[in-house]
Amino acid sequence: MNGEASGTIVRVTRMPKSWRIFHWVNFLAVFAAVVTGIYIARPYYQAMIAEPAVRKFVMGWNRAIHLYAAITIDVLCVVSFYLYFLSRFERPVRKLLPTREHGREFFEVLANFFTFNRRKRFDSAELDTFNAAWFTLLHLLLLFQLFTGLQLYVYSLESGLSSVGGWWPWLMHMATDWTYWAFGGRMGVRWVHHFTMYLLLAWIAFHVYYEIWRTVYWREGDIAIAFGGEKIARRLPGTAAE
Amino acid sequence: MRVFGRGEGGGSADGIGARTESEYEALRRRCEERLRALEAAEPLQQVHLPSLLRSEGMSRRTFLKWASATTALLFLPASFEKLVARAAAVMNRVPVIWVEYQDCAGNSEAILRADGPTIDELLLDVISLEYHETLMTPSGFQAEAQLEDALQAFRGKYILIVEGSIPTEDGFGFNGPRGESFLENLKRLSRDALAIIAVGSCASYGGIPAAYPNPTKAMGVWDIVKGKPIVNIPACPMNPANLIGVLLHYVLTGTLPELDYLLRPKFAFGYRIHDNCERRAHFDAGEYVEQWGDEGARNNFCLYKMGCKGPMTFNNCSIIRYNDGTNWPIGVGRGCIGCSEPGFWDKYAYERPMAGANIPVPGLWNLGIERSVDLLGVGLLTAAGAGIAIHAFLSAKYGKKSDEGAPGAPPKEKS
Ligand code: HEM
Ligand code: SF4
Repeated sequence: MNGEASGTIVRVTRMPKSWRIFHWVNFLAVFAAVVTGIYIARPYYQAMIAEPAVRKFVMGWNRAIHLYAAITIDVLCVVSFYLYFLSRFERPVRKLLPTREHGREFFEVLANFFTFNRRKRFDSAELDTFNAAWFTLLHLLLLFQLFTGLQLYVYSLESGLSSVGGWWPWLMHMATDWTYWAFGGRMGVRWVHHFTMYLLLAWIAFHVYYEIWRTVYWREGDIAIAFGGEKIARRLPGTAAE
Repeated sequence: MRVFGRGEGGGSADGIGARTESEYEALRRRCEERLRALEAAEPLQQVHLPSLLRSEGMSRRTFLKWASATTALLFLPASFEKLVARAAAVMNRVPVIWVEYQDCAGNSEAILRADGPTIDELLLDVISLEYHETLMTPSGFQAEAQLEDALQAFRGKYILIVEGSIPTEDGFGFNGPRGESFLENLKRLSRDALAIIAVGSCASYGGIPAAYPNPTKAMGVWDIVKGKPIVNIPACPMNPANLIGVLLHYVLTGTLPELDYLLRPKFAFGYRIHDNCERRAHFDAGEYVEQWGDEGARNNFCLYKMGCKGPMTFNNCSIIRYNDGTNWPIGVGRGCIGCSEPGFWDKYAYERPMAGANIPVPGLWNLGIERSVDLLGVGLLTAAGAGIAIHAFLSAKYGKKSDEGAPGAPPKEKS
């Protein structure tokens, strides 16, 4: 744990700058993917009919932005999984090992939430097991969007041609064709890709609520982690870290 | 897992496969040899193509135009035009047995040319149809005898064309005077067939009879027949030009065309409707028909919001169209219903985008659970929102805020 202490309060760094950049870029990309994804699903605004078609490309832009966002998400997805295992700051994967201690902590974090902070028996200065699992769920959902989205993308390249060479669609077919069979065809893939958007939105809703809730009830400034990278943690007198 | 990248045909057919100059040269030699042999063979049916064309008032020029279009359809270079024209004339050397199971006879109807016949449709007169219940004069035991004769005479040489799905539930679907079940009939006839062509979506994947709840447990040919070359020509109905394409390919080269992962000939199903649609510019521009007959409809805007499934459907109808190139569904102002995709009736055929339609939930197909993804999704979000609101309320009422200065948890033991 890094940080400096002042009495019973310690200041801890929880997200280095690079992580915070990834966090917000990821947020923006997911936001863009949601807004444009809904447009792709049901174009909810009409282009002005009087405009000449060459200048607007409303759907074209929505699809382009969706795919730019998708590429951003895909790259960050790979980066995140790398950091899970090999980050120099903290390796979240360690928190996911199914040990007894982690099980206890997971339960304690939940107990804290459902007793409305009347009971708090875990160290809130570091990443806890519950949040580690919750964040992993996000990355798995995004990974799932990556597979289903790339399947939706590659099926339209039926000719097998691509400006960067045939290896690219071939690779995507190899990696994502299982979704075609798993979800009963292309419409099934589209259905689950669309539905996973709602899972992601529900994920975000809980995440935002929970971080605000922690900030309000724990009074440790958790919400600041995403901005300044640091929070404070309460300690028993005389047990300041480091 | 079947992977369907380029050249990954799931079928047992070789296909033309030629890519280079010398490969085409070899192919041409092979085709010429084959045509010479067929021309020398006894025709199975006395039809003289030139006189047939003349009797229908078609000039040789019309025929040659057709030949060059068909050459292009089969992905062959223009130098093959003459060979294609010769192949058309010897199509009466290939025996064909056509059976019909659970369906509406729409594919037979499609070749029956209610209007003026096209050359593709005329060619179906040229092929040697040894048996076709709907078209043949004999019926009952007489028809059965004719079928037996054909099976004996052309053992291992005939092409079996199947129209309609095959019910596998007991007590559904019989044909012939002996009341043989469709399932038995298919097994018997496919045994000695050279190859099987499933025409229409029903024969290919079960089609409309297989729609939920599929009371007859209808299936497509490829679900039942194993170990035989199968070609699927789905769509509702299939386009006669594609059937002629497959037959001509066989007559010309002695092989079946290159197939895709659903055993569909790539020359016909290698295109996405959406990519060859005349309304595509309106799709990209965000100009959609919002209601039948509105301003957008009058301006031929894109039909996506009226449920067009062109973006997910592979077929060449946007290119060759129906009824001799007269028109096709999107051309007449209604969306594509994905009729050539598996499970189209349950999953594609509705007049709104997928997000707003009650369709089978993936993974729960057999339970008959049909919901629109947006309804389920918004329900999920509402539940999440309600949960959060309740928790926030209870926290405000019973929650305990950690005190300023009060100690929290002890730190973990340093290791
Ligand atoms: C946060 C992540 C994402 C969300 C919320 C999201 C959402 C959506 C939605 C709602 C649709 C419309 C589906 C429908 O028709 O009902 C869609 C379509 C699509 N998405 Fe995503 N998506 C995400 C990530 C991705 C990724 C990573 C890819 C990867 C390439 C991708 C590629 C596509 C493609 C190709 C389509 C179809 C576009 C078309 O047919 O024009 N998406 N997405
Ligand atoms: S009408 Fe259908 S196929 Fe044509 S551009 Fe619109 S969505 Fe695509």
